[in-house]
Amino acid sequence: MIKPYLKYILPVVLPLIILLLPSDSFGIDGLTLVEQRVIAIFVMAALCWVLEPIPIYATSVLIIVFELLLISDNGLWFATNGHPELQGPLIKQSTIMATFASPIIMLFLGGFFLAMAATKYRLDVNLARVLLRPFGKSPKYVMLGIMMITAVFSMFMSNTATTAMMLSILTPVIALFAKEDIGKVAFALSVPVAANIGGIATPIGTPPNAVALKYLVDEYSVSFAQWMVIGVPFVVVMLLIAWILLNKLFPAKTKSIHLDIEGQFLKTPKAYLVYVTFASTILLWLLGGAHGMSAYVVAMLPVAIFSMFKIITKEDLKNISWDVLWLVSGGIALGVALDKSGLAANAVNAIPFDSFHPLVLIVGASMMCLVMANFMSNTATANLILPLVAALGASMTSLVPFGGQVVLILAVTFSASLGMSLPISTPPNALAYASGHFKNTQMLKVGVIIGAVGLLVTFAMLFLLNKLGVVGI
Amino acid sequence: MDKINIICVDDEREVLESVSRDLAYFADMFNIEECESAFECEELLEELDAQQEYVGVIISDHVMPEKSGVELLTEVALDNRFLGTKKLLLTGLATQADTIRAINNAKLDNFLEKVWDPQELLQTVKELLTEYIVEKGLEYEDYIEKLDPPTLYRLIK
Repeated sequence: MIKPYLKYILPVVLPLIILLLPSDSFGIDGLTLVEQRVIAIFVMAALCWVLEPIPIYATSVLIIVFELLLISDNGLWFATNGHPELQGPLIKQSTIMATFASPIIMLFLGGFFLAMAATKYRLDVNLARVLLRPFGKSPKYVMLGIMMITAVFSMFMSNTATTAMMLSILTPVIALFAKEDIGKVAFALSVPVAANIGGIATPIGTPPNAVALKYLVDEYSVSFAQWMVIGVPFVVVMLLIAWILLNKLFPAKTKSIHLDIEGQFLKTPKAYLVYVTFASTILLWLLGGAHGMSAYVVAMLPVAIFSMFKIITKEDLKNISWDVLWLVSGGIALGVALDKSGLAANAVNAIPFDSFHPLVLIVGASMMCLVMANFMSNTATANLILPLVAALGASMTSLVPFGGQVVLILAVTFSASLGMSLPISTPPNALAYASGHFKNTQMLKVGVIIGAVGLLVTFAMLFLLNKLGVVGI
Repeated sequence: MDKINIICVDDEREVLESVSRDLAYFADMFNIEECESAFECEELLEELDAQQEYVGVIISDHVMPEKSGVELLTEVALDNRFLGTKKLLLTGLATQADTIRAINNAKLDNFLEKVWDPQELLQTVKELLTEYIVEKGLEYEDYIEKLDPPTLYRLIK
């Protein structure tokens, strides 16, 4: 194991060494000073996200601050007064700062507003109550219902909040299981698994998707509805697989289950406004181009409406997960630096990636992403891998027959959400593990199988959709 | 990781030891402090505040010489620095008037009778601590293995 102090020393020392090395020691022709600093920032980010000496959102802020100090046009004096030839182009400070309010961040803010209003006006619990009813009392089908509802909610709410809500509904039910009935393992695991998978279905489902949007621009852009055309079938297939797997591994002996969720739909004018705004925002997202508004613009509508009518109050504003928004901002800033400094293009040219088979790249990058996501934050994983993959994808002409950059980025993004084999893999996993209803080996078994099968389904599905002309070039 | 304290107050040494023993479950992650009087507890609170440590739960006896548990907990309830600190009264000898004052003035979070059931005490403190950590906005992930899952699921949004 690594010594505990190394996690503080490495992220400081290694980037410093990179900064001080002569610029011809990287094997990239004509490496500018700015590009060299970008490498150092990237290495620092990677080490901080992997070793976590500081909170992961703090690493994002650090990336942005170091970019401002070292590679922006208003940075430190010695970082901006080099010989233009050696130094390379500086990035405008406004470009770097704008990552805090990029359209992608605004899309997520809109999603947060919707989720907060839904929770506050109990739309989530009430919908769960109504939607669970048709699934009856057989444990098998109740579990299917729970998984489907968890997945649908996690498409629009945070995976963590969805998991907490569904687990609180399930707690009294699991308590009624006989002590030796392993069916409770299946129930306790079904929620985090469904929440992790469900987040894949929409651009706002989980932060790695937001990071991916940064690289799906111009001719590669994917609209909200297009994302769902790819994401929803994937989630449906994966949920069915997970459901069958959990039932096979941990069959319930209990014959009948009764879910008891109290409550009724709120019928105040404000509550109706929440229902209408929620439904219309999603509808506008799905309609895509028909009304001319982009998904980013649509996301601002609930922000305006809920603020106006005090549905989201001053106090609620403080409870927004700013850390998640900052975490994504840092990822975007990292991408901006790699791109605008010219490093991405330069580095890709220096290494003969074109001689690789494109499938090696797709499969290799996805697998690496899956493995990393099991051990660290899914978003941080996406922040690190996606800019590299996007740069490679853009330069590889051999990738085109397989759907080009879009397929590559989507495959890697989906893999980032499939890392769920350890309690530390995702917050939903940690919450479910705390219930004490299953051992970590049981979670490992389910997580590894779902990760591996999930990768195969991702590849198969993207291949198929590409052949059908739905995705890619 | 933030330091969170659980303070036990009782003038009888044996009771104090017995409460600590019942709460040994928390010992590796939280600080369990023992005070033999309300005054000692007040001093400790000052000290902890100066160190910027958190006081998650105070478990106090009521009938103690010089200053009663209800008086102590009332002071804590009015002290801005300990906003959110959970207060548990553990007593066998409270009159109805004491109990009324305990609820109205000391804003008790829980009331357990002596002789207590160790399991019940442990479960109650688990729930109170979980509420404290989530309500204070501390990183619950750090303490998750010692917290009460149903309370956690109910409070996380």
